[in-house]
Amino acid sequence: MSSSIDAVIVTSQSDNLALSVNGISWHVDDVAILADISFSLNKKQMLGVIGPNGAGKSSLLRCLYRYITPTQGQIRLFDQDISQFKGKAFATQVAVVQQDTPQFFDMNTSQLVAMGLTPHKGMFDGHTAADNQLINDAIQKVGLTDKAFLQYSQLSGGEKQRALIARAIVQRPKLLILDEPTNHLDIRYQIQILELVKSLGITVIASIHDLNLASAMCDTLVLLNKGRLVSQGTPSAVLTEAQIGKVFEVCCEVKPHPQHAKPLVNYFYGYMSHSLSQSPFQPSPKAEQDSSLCDSEVQR
Amino acid sequence: MSPVKDQYRYRLFLCLLSLFAALSPIAAASFGAANISFHDVIQAIGQHLSWQDNAQSSGITERIVFELRFPRIVLAFVAGAGLALAGSVLQTVTCNPLADPYLFGISSGASFGAVLVFSFLSSGLFNLTQGTAMSLGQLEWWSWQNLLLPIGAFAGASLSVLLVLSLSGLGRSSQIERMLLSGVATSFLFGSLTSLLLYFSSPQATASVLFWSLGSFAKANWTGVILPSVIVLGSLAIIVVFKRQIVALQAGDETAHTLGVNVAKLRLNMLLLCSLITAVLVASCGGIGFVGLMIPHCVRLLFPGRQPMIVTAIVGGLFMVWIDVVARCILGNQELPVGIITAAIGSVFFLFILRYRR
Repeated sequence: MSSSIDAVIVTSQSDNLALSVNGISWHVDDVAILADISFSLNKKQMLGVIGPNGAGKSSLLRCLYRYITPTQGQIRLFDQDISQFKGKAFATQVAVVQQDTPQFFDMNTSQLVAMGLTPHKGMFDGHTAADNQLINDAIQKVGLTDKAFLQYSQLSGGEKQRALIARAIVQRPKLLILDEPTNHLDIRYQIQILELVKSLGITVIASIHDLNLASAMCDTLVLLNKGRLVSQGTPSAVLTEAQIGKVFEVCCEVKPHPQHAKPLVNYFYGYMSHSLSQSPFQPSPKAEQDSSLCDSEVQR
Repeated sequence: MSPVKDQYRYRLFLCLLSLFAALSPIAAASFGAANISFHDVIQAIGQHLSWQDNAQSSGITERIVFELRFPRIVLAFVAGAGLALAGSVLQTVTCNPLADPYLFGISSGASFGAVLVFSFLSSGLFNLTQGTAMSLGQLEWWSWQNLLLPIGAFAGASLSVLLVLSLSGLGRSSQIERMLLSGVATSFLFGSLTSLLLYFSSPQATASVLFWSLGSFAKANWTGVILPSVIVLGSLAIIVVFKRQIVALQAGDETAHTLGVNVAKLRLNMLLLCSLITAVLVASCGGIGFVGLMIPHCVRLLFPGRQPMIVTAIVGGLFMVWIDVVARCILGNQELPVGIITAAIGSVFFLFILRYRR
């Protein structure tokens, strides 16, 4: 009796699971870029990957969209090992928005968005009216209708980002991965892009630099440092003063946000260790001193 | 530009292009050493099609048109189309606006392979000592003697592609300059090897190879036209079928990968396809540079973002047909190798791109 109830609970859990990452590591020439990372993500949730520069955020995302193969460990997408997917089948499940596109890129917005159809099309399939509808809807959703026939290179940073998201919408994925989607954007576009992505109602993984943005937008967070997983869970569990101080080596206080009560990080200035000769990942004794000073300062 | 207007312009261009393409062979056939008018050409076609055997005076005209000029026009068209296509695909799959079979060293690799085979042939190793490479055309087009030269050229071209790839290290972004330099280095390497071969061969062979390497359609005949036509048409079909994937490569390796494209495999296959086209064309009409650079750029300027492969091929073909007409007529009683003309136009065009590239 009890075992059948267990079974029901287990299936309902795995049914709700979009992604599970089990102990992945990635080594380049014996240097561990990622070491033993495990986490899981439920369907239709938004996961933020945070951490300092060089923490392995992009590498982790690349493992997730199979651009690199982990040296160890397994990644399961909808309870299926991602290495088992065929290239096209995987691309119908997972769409990716990257930071940069090549300089030589001869396309207008509409054509760029149409690229999202690639995994859905066989060799001899043409453009149908339904495809055009899909493309136009996606462009409208990201608010670029009046720029649909402008060259991609002529769009502004925020518009480029939105065009790439429209391409991902046309790709109709179940999981959307964004590598620093808010980079180089002003705060209006940062919020706009992430709210747009959230409104799609699919599972999303995004690496985000701005901790407050990550806190406000994401359901769960994964904090990386030096290729290791430092902490994971809800924003309030991950974004603590101690953990931010340790990983980013800054002084801060964390308060509930006045609007949504998720953590709001305020930074204190003038407490950095300025010795750049030391590796930024090795906290110097001075920084330790500073951060304790910072604590007392905050308490005062 | 609004989409409707753009569409309208594109259709108008297609109509004009097909009209021009239909008239070009007839018009181009009326230029050359023998004085044959546009009217004579149409008459000769009429005679040929209706199998009339009444002509005495125009019999020679018909022979000139059908046995000398038409094969030549077809070969020029196929060569131009093939090179433009190869250039367009190379530019897209390497994300490099300056890619071209000539600049990438593919042409010189193919030349080296062809010259190597040719010098073996003329040294009597294969017991085939007659004349130039082109005179092999008396045999059926699929006979091994006729295929030796293209196969040698393809081996050389593939070698140069692999060399450029390993020198420039594909996969890293922004390697445009790296790749161009690797292409130039490869080009020089194979150029010097070709020169070395020529240095040790007979003066007669050297002269004919030199003339051939400048690019000419003068020795075109119906047998020799078959292989290039089959290869270029086949490649065009493959490229059209894989167009979606090829265009996705333009967005960069990682993006193409996330769109379900097997990047490494597709790129290698497309580079080999380009070297096949180039090799067959080099084997049948010598080294003709810059067409693969110029034509895709012009088409792209006219129709940004469309990547119209078939249009690119047709424009390239027509361009070459008319360049060949210029080559036939510019010096009155003497022909100029087409390679000289395309290189002259192309070098100016190359500087133009470098100057105005975004």
